[in-house]
Amino acid sequence: MQAEHRSDHLHILLANDLSELERLANEVEAFVERNDLPVSLPFTINLCLDELITNVVMHGYPDRGPHKILVEMWIENGGLHIRIRDDGMAFNPFEQSPPPDLESDLEDRPIGGLGVFLVKETMSETHYRREGMYNIIDLIKTLPNTEEA
Amino acid sequence: MAIPQEISGETVVLMPQQRVDSANSKQFEVDLLEALKAGHKTLVVDFKDLDYISSAGLRAILVTAKSAKASSVRLRLCNMKENIREVFTVSGFDKILAIHATRAEALAA
Repeated sequence: MQAEHRSDHLHILLANDLSELERLANEVEAFVERNDLPVSLPFTINLCLDELITNVVMHGYPDRGPHKILVEMWIENGGLHIRIRDDGMAFNPFEQSPPPDLESDLEDRPIGGLGVFLVKETMSETHYRREGMYNIIDLIKTLPNTEEA
Repeated sequence: MAIPQEISGETVVLMPQQRVDSANSKQFEVDLLEALKAGHKTLVVDFKDLDYISSAGLRAILVTAKSAKASSVRLRLCNMKENIREVFTVSGFDKILAIHATRAEALAA
């Protein structure tokens, strides 16, 4: 439960509890504001963080014990970079999630399966790697070029 | 926390507030399904006060839509902010749900 700001580098440790998502959303909003990023961005970022962190909290910890999930956010080379690091079970959400059904009728439409799809749709790049005991997810959202404005 | 609602005739309008994320989506679903079971002919979900919805919220809406169809209740959604509307479109929900720009349109449909 701590947040520190190194100029424009957000570094926040979350408990593995879904109630942390709202606190994270507030931190994201503040980050976007102080960096003059597009006002529509917090929605997109929170959507992605919400999906990926919920996965970790719900499925990553069979021991049900307390864990810390690290979220970092910074701006580099015209892109917003987001990193999520957790010490849960090895899981690559981008490979191990089936593609969603976007076409079926209401009756046949499967419940769920949209989360990771929304992350892939809204982010410019999504990467996963396992490093020792950690899952590391890197997301990049290309920012609109403000220099030409 | 129950969702504010307005009842007029055979229609109930629910107005979810601020955010639906995976922490509160279960309650959101329970509230929607309860409104569905209350015997109204039309259930309108007015999104005017909603700023954020995650896929857990979409899931609750889909569960409600299926249940509404099975029990012959009309489900209408309206007043979505642009970000939220986009998520519904990307998810392919605009093809299976009645989404209206305004509450008046939702009620008239």
